[in-house]
Amino acid sequence: MSMDEPSTKLSDSIKEKIAAIKTEENVYGMGRIARIRNYIIEVSGLEDVGFFERVVVGDKAEGYVSRIGRNQVTVELVRVLSPIFVGDEVTATKQPFGAYFSPSSLGHVVDMFAEDKIAGSIFKDREPVGAVVEPIPIMDRTTVSRPLYTGLAVVDLLYPIGRGQRQLILGDKKTGKTQIGLDAIVNQRGTDTVCIYVALGKTKKTVKEIYSDLLQRGAMPYTLILTAFQDDGAPALYRTPAVGLTIANRFMQEGKDVLVVIDDLTLHANIYREISLLADKVPGRDAYPPDVFFTHASLLEQGCQYHNGGSITILPIVETRGGDITDYITTNIISITDGQLVLSAKAFEQGQKPAVNFGLSVSRLGGQVQEDLLRQMGADIRRELLSFLETREVFELANIDEMSEDMRNQIIRGRILLEKMNQYKFSPLAPTEIRTRFEEMTV
Amino acid sequence: MSTVTALENTTQAAHAKRPIGKIVAISNMSVSVLLDSYDISVRDIIYVVSNGERSYFEINNVNGNIANAIPLSYVYGLSKGLDVYVREGGLRIEYSDEVLGKVFDALGDTIDGTIIAEPHTKNIYEKNLSMAEINIKGDILWTGIKVVDFFAPLQKGFKMGMFGGAGVGKTVLVKELINNVYTGQGSNSVFVGIGERSREGRELFDEMAASDLLSKMSIVFGQMGENPMIRSRAAYSGLTVGEYLRDEKSQDVLVFIDNIYRFLQANSEISAELGNMPIESGYSTSLLTEISEVMERINSTESGSITSFQAVFIPADDMTDFAVNAIMSHMDGQVALSRKIAEKGIYPAVDVFNTTSKLVSVEGVGERHFSLVERAIAHFARYEDLEEIVAVLGIDELSEEDTNIFYRARKLRNYFTQPMFVSEKYTGIPGEFVDIADVLNDVENILSGEFDTLDEGEFYYIGSVKREL
Repeated sequence: MSMDEPSTKLSDSIKEKIAAIKTEENVYGMGRIARIRNYIIEVSGLEDVGFFERVVVGDKAEGYVSRIGRNQVTVELVRVLSPIFVGDEVTATKQPFGAYFSPSSLGHVVDMFAEDKIAGSIFKDREPVGAVVEPIPIMDRTTVSRPLYTGLAVVDLLYPIGRGQRQLILGDKKTGKTQIGLDAIVNQRGTDTVCIYVALGKTKKTVKEIYSDLLQRGAMPYTLILTAFQDDGAPALYRTPAVGLTIANRFMQEGKDVLVVIDDLTLHANIYREISLLADKVPGRDAYPPDVFFTHASLLEQGCQYHNGGSITILPIVETRGGDITDYITTNIISITDGQLVLSAKAFEQGQKPAVNFGLSVSRLGGQVQEDLLRQMGADIRRELLSFLETREVFELANIDEMSEDMRNQIIRGRILLEKMNQYKFSPLAPTEIRTRFEEMTV
Repeated sequence: MSTVTALENTTQAAHAKRPIGKIVAISNMSVSVLLDSYDISVRDIIYVVSNGERSYFEINNVNGNIANAIPLSYVYGLSKGLDVYVREGGLRIEYSDEVLGKVFDALGDTIDGTIIAEPHTKNIYEKNLSMAEINIKGDILWTGIKVVDFFAPLQKGFKMGMFGGAGVGKTVLVKELINNVYTGQGSNSVFVGIGERSREGRELFDEMAASDLLSKMSIVFGQMGENPMIRSRAAYSGLTVGEYLRDEKSQDVLVFIDNIYRFLQANSEISAELGNMPIESGYSTSLLTEISEVMERINSTESGSITSFQAVFIPADDMTDFAVNAIMSHMDGQVALSRKIAEKGIYPAVDVFNTTSKLVSVEGVGERHFSLVERAIAHFARYEDLEEIVAVLGIDELSEEDTNIFYRARKLRNYFTQPMFVSEKYTGIPGEFVDIADVLNDVENILSGEFDTLDEGEFYYIGSVKREL
C-alpha cells in the first residue's frame, strides 16, 4: 500500500493540474513537487512566484526560489521538519525569503531563525532580517583609522586591526585560529562593541564549549553566537554568514561598532560548491562555482567604517591544508581582505603561541590604525624580526659562536623578541602593557 | 542601484513604448525573454518595472524568439510574465569635460553626488582602432621607482602589467605610480577600479581630493561587492573616458586599472551563469576575444597617447594561469611581484627574473643601462645557486669570486627596496623619487665592488646611495 503511494500522488497531481487548467482555476500561487534531489526540489506550478521568494511545503519544509525555469521552479530547502514526497503541495508566500533576529538574543546561541539553540525555543520578539547582503556604496564609507585591540601583542603591535578592517586568520587545523577570534571578542569587554561569532558546521559540543568560554570571561552579554550545524543542511549553512552580516549591518546603521568572526569560510566555499554542483551549475577551478570569489567578496565587503561612526570589523577564518596558503579559495580571500594573520603548524609545535608566521602575515592598513604609542615601535620591531628570521634561515647551520659580533647580537635579540611574542590564551594585554613589554628592545 | 540616470537620459520617450516581450525564466544572473519582435540585438539594453523600480538587463544572446539577458543589478523579487521594454543607445557614459573630477559607476552614473546638467554620452562599446591609427612612438617615462626604471623602463603609450598573487603589493605599487607619474606629468588621468576593495576605492578618492589631484582625474568603479556585469562593464566605461581625453582633448593620458584580471573573472561568472561550456579553470569560453576587445582600445594615436598601468591578480599564485597569460601577451612591459620575496620583508617584492619591458635593449635605453641589467640579473641568478650552497656548507666554502657575488647580490637586492610615498604611514620612512642616473651609478658601484666596505643593511630602504652618504 505504502509502496504505490508516491505514484498515486503523482498521478493525482497530474490529474489535478489538468483539471485546474481545464476549469482555468488559479494554479499560480501553488505547485507540486516534481523532483527531489537532496535539499533541492523542482516544483511544477508556482507560475507567478518571485525570484528568492519564500515558499513552504505545507508545514513540512520551507525554502527559497533559486531559479524560475520556463516549465519548472527550483527551490532550495533551508528547513526540513519532516519527510517530503513528490506530489506534495508547495505554496508561495508573497514574501522574500528572510531570516530572523531578536534584539534580546544577545548573550545566546541562535540560528538564522532566531531559535535559541540551548533553550530550544524561538524568541518571541524576533523580527525579519534579510538573508542577502547588498553592497555598501563607496561614498558611504570613510577611512578605517580607529584601532580594534585584540589584546594580543603580536596582533596589536605588528599586524594591527582597525575598526572596519577585514583581517583574515588562516592556518592548518589545530593552530589556534578560532582562539584568536575568541581572544578578540573577549577583549571587547567595556568597549561598547557588539560581537557576532558565526559558527559554521561546528559540532554542537564545540559551540557549547565556545559559549561556556565566552560566558566565563564575561563576554556573552555583548555577544551573539549565530550557528548553523552540519545537520542543518547546506542551504542554511550557506546563508548564515550573510544573515550574520545583515544583523551586523543593522547595528552599524545605529552607529555601533560590530566585530564579526566567521568560522570558517573554507567550509562555506565547500558547501557552496556542493549546492552549485547539485543545481547543475557550470563548475570552475577545483570544481568551485565561478562566482565563489564574488560570493565571498560580497560578504566581506560588508566590513567598513560607516559615515555615521558605526563600523563592521570582520575576522574571517580560513583553514589551510599542509600549510599551503596558495590554494584557490585561500588566495581569493587573501585578495579580498585587508591583511592576513597566518598561523603555522611548525611554530605551534615549537611552542610559539599565537603561532604566527611573521613573513607571511601582513596588515594592509598597518600604522594607519595604530595609536602613536605603538606605531613606530611596531614598525621597527617588525622589520628587525623579519631581518632576523631571514638571517637565521640563510645561516641555519652556522655556529653562533663563530659569527661576527653584529650577527650574533642580531640572532640573540631576535630570539628574545620571539620569546616576548608568546602569550597564553585569554590573557589580554592593554596597549600600554604591550609597550612596556617591548620597551627595552627598542634601544 | 536605485536609479540609472545615464540610461534614463538617453531615451526620455521610452515610457510611451510598447513592450517587446515578456520574461519567461529567471536565474541568478540571467533572464529569458519571449520576444514579440525580432528587432533586438546583442548588447541592447532592456528593462522591466517591478514594485515601481526599473531593473535593467543587457542582451547576451538571441535564439529565435527567445533572448537571454544579463541583469545589471539583481533579480530578487522578479517574476515570470513581466513586460519587457527596450532602451535605445545601449550602455553609455559621459563624453565631455564633465568627466573630470567625477566618480562614475560602470553604468555611467555619477556616484559622488554630483549631477551632470547636460549630458553628452557615448556608447561604451567603441570599435577598435585600425592599424593605421596606432602610433608606436613615445618618449621614455621615468617612474622614480628604482626597480621599475632599471628592469622594466617604459615609454609613453606602453601597457605595463603589475603581476602578483594575493597580498604581495600590487595595489601599493599602482598607487605609488599614480603618485610619482601622474603628479609629475600634469595631464589628465583615469582610474578604473575593477573588482577590488571598496575601502581602497574610497581611500584613493580621499587621497586624490586631499592632494588637489581630483580635478584632473576621472574615476570609474565596479568594485568586488558588485555583481559581475558591473565589474565587467567598468573596464569599457573607463576606457571610453580615457579615449575622450586622448581623442577629443589630444592629451597624453594615464590610465590606471586595478585590476584587469577581475574583468576576465567577472566575465567567467557571467558565462557560467548562462550555462556556457567553460574552458580550463572555469574561464569564459570567449576569454581571448574579451581581453583583446579591451586591450586593443588602449593605444596611442596621432592625437594623443594612453599609457596604462594595470594590476593583474594571479589566482592561487599560478603564473601559468590561462587568464594571466592571456593578459600578459598584451603587455609591453611587466613587473612581477613574488610571495617568496615579500616574505623576506623586501618591498616592492619584485621578482627580477620576470620583470622586463620591450625597452630593455641597447636601442631602447643605451648600452650602459642595458649591460648593467644583464650583469645584475647574472648576479641574482648566481646568488640563487649560492644561497643553497651557503645554507649547507657555510659561506667560508665559497671561492673569492663567489663570495663577492654573494655579498654584492645581497646588497643589490636590498638596494632595490625603496621607501614609498604611499606607504609612509605604514613604514614611518619618507618616500623617495630616485633619478635613473643615480640608479645606474649605484648599481655600477655595487657590482664593481666600490661599496664592498659598506654593510648590506645600509642599502635597505634607501633612495640613492649618494644621498645616504
